[in-house]
Amino acid sequence: MSETPEKPFVPDQPTVSRKFWIALWLTCGVSVLIEFLVHRHEHFEKSDSALASATNGFGFYVALGFLACSAAILLAKGLGVFLKTRENYYDDTP
Amino acid sequence: MTLLNSIPPGLILILGAIVLLLLPATARKAGAIGLAALGFFAISQLETGERLSPSFLGFDLTLLRVDATSKAFGYIFTLCAVAAFIFSWHEKRRAENTAALVYIGSALGVVFAGDMITWYVCWELMAIASTFLILARKTEKSLKAAQRYILVHLAGGLILLTGILLTVHNHKTGSIAFNEFPKDEIGSWFILIGILINAAAVPFSSWLPDAYPESTIMGGVILSAYTTKTAVYTLIRGFPGWEILVPIGCVMTLYGIIYALLENDMRRILSYSIINQVGFMVCGVGIGTNLAIAGVVAHAFCHIIYKALLWMSAGAVLFRTGKSKCTELGGLYKTMPITMILGTIGALAISSVPFTSGFVSKTIIVATAEQNNYLWAWLVLEIASAGVFLHAGIKFPYFVFFNVDRGLRPKEAPKPMLIGMGLLAFLCIYLGCHPAPLYDILPLLHRPLLPEANLESLGTTFSAIYVDHFSNVVTMFQLLAFSALAFFVFLPWLKRTPTISIDFDWFYRKGAKLFYAAMDRSLNGLNKAADKYVIKTFLPALTRFALVAPATLTAMALKPVWRAMDPDEAGLAKRRDELVAKFTTGTFPIAYSAACVLIILSLLVLIGRTAD
Repeated sequence: MSETPEKPFVPDQPTVSRKFWIALWLTCGVSVLIEFLVHRHEHFEKSDSALASATNGFGFYVALGFLACSAAILLAKGLGVFLKTRENYYDDTP
Repeated sequence: MTLLNSIPPGLILILGAIVLLLLPATARKAGAIGLAALGFFAISQLETGERLSPSFLGFDLTLLRVDATSKAFGYIFTLCAVAAFIFSWHEKRRAENTAALVYIGSALGVVFAGDMITWYVCWELMAIASTFLILARKTEKSLKAAQRYILVHLAGGLILLTGILLTVHNHKTGSIAFNEFPKDEIGSWFILIGILINAAAVPFSSWLPDAYPESTIMGGVILSAYTTKTAVYTLIRGFPGWEILVPIGCVMTLYGIIYALLENDMRRILSYSIINQVGFMVCGVGIGTNLAIAGVVAHAFCHIIYKALLWMSAGAVLFRTGKSKCTELGGLYKTMPITMILGTIGALAISSVPFTSGFVSKTIIVATAEQNNYLWAWLVLEIASAGVFLHAGIKFPYFVFFNVDRGLRPKEAPKPMLIGMGLLAFLCIYLGCHPAPLYDILPLLHRPLLPEANLESLGTTFSAIYVDHFSNVVTMFQLLAFSALAFFVFLPWLKRTPTISIDFDWFYRKGAKLFYAAMDRSLNGLNKAADKYVIKTFLPALTRFALVAPATLTAMALKPVWRAMDPDEAGLAKRRDELVAKFTTGTFPIAYSAACVLIILSLLVLIGRTAD
């Protein structure tokens, strides 16, 4: 079977197609915009810590989603230097 | 139906498994599905209460304790079994169905056990039966993994047994009832460790991603559901509200994410993902309010469904391609589109995407963390929710079904596999849109501690969850959309490598070696020193002394007599040498010995007289 010449909509290559990027950014944009329309439920009303009040700030979940995942990827990448080992590691290590 | 009401459902599966061994392949496979369905029906007929109390070694067992919690776990255990046996219709090996049924039956045994002896026996039976699901792969790797797996579980079982014995011993009544454990008893802590090993809590977690990916296709699906969730069930029974479980659960959620990101094998990714999800449940048990416990049961229920679905889609890929590494897979959506869609539904459900089951169960646990002011725990659970989407929600389907087209053109998964997956995928969406049947079986009154929030505050109907609480949908949507953005922004950094990662077992493997070396140095050093100084130096000296000393002493005593008999020095020396020779060879004329005996006897008589 011959390879398809143009990039399909769904990511099919290590570099994701332009259309997919547009769709992704649009989704993110819409998710931020809807927040203007809803009244978010208050977290930790009784707590007076700065962190507790930050959780109620606009776009908290936006920042949390992006930063937490970026941090997880970077942390995994960093730890990988020490933790990654060959696949047959257990075959000759008791 | 009184008969079903007094039979432990686990027993139906275990006895049925033995009968199935005798049947031909098709009847055996159909029988396994039928037995699981019969188990489900039997559980639905069980009336609340404690029954079946035979006496064993002077203890009254309780083989059947039925309440909302045990029934909820029973339902999902048998439901998952039905789907798994349909999925595994291709499986021809006799041993596998039997091992799976005994494993599931003993898991049900734990769930309905009302005493610690029944619990322990079923617990160990689970460990043994599950090992066969790994061995059945019949590869060198799976054999070794199974050996490591059973060793960990036997060790965990012994720790649990120690705890049970200590607890029974300390109970004034000698009661073996399996209820909440007291915090101030050492036995409770042993039991907790024994359970946490099965729950794959950090640092006892590495056995899971080591063993499950080496199991058979069916084995992976079955294993993913029972061992860890039985552990969660026993935590609910024995340790609700133990705050130590909150940090333990939080660590599990984060550890699962980081390791899943590092992994290359799709089934290893899913294994770490189990630990991440069980972390949510362990955390919920630690919070321990009745709503939190209800949330844990709901999450365990939904988790078993979507996790089995994910393992099935991975299994279908493995079945068709024979490959399980991300570096060897990719582009499969072209020829396995249905598997891709069903697997993706599982991936969305585990990520708690609105309208899937994960959204209506995980939300309860996260909400209780907030209601009970666990700020840090709440934050970690939210971060972990984003991380789940990253590793299981996107990474798994992306690297398996999309990414690079590696020219693999396998056929779509066989029909039974699609039916098994379809059933679970349907449940993922059905429960996400209409959670009432699930909420109805939750043990909301399991622990009447706090009058705080009930499920109504989160919504129990479609309109309440998705319309009245629309802001929750929005925030979840934001969290997931930006997690996805992070994934694709950092995609080049996520390039897979053909590696595995060193886990916490490193500590006990290397620790054991270190311990061995330390013991070798210290104990064998002591041995060597004892050999050198005691055996080779002291004892010969003692022997020499024992030989020479009597001769020297006798010679000294006889010297005046000899001198009187023969004043010549040379004669003296000769007599002395003769005496020493006689002592060392032990060759005395009989007269000498007789004289000595006579002297000693006389002395004894004298001493005896004096004493009188």
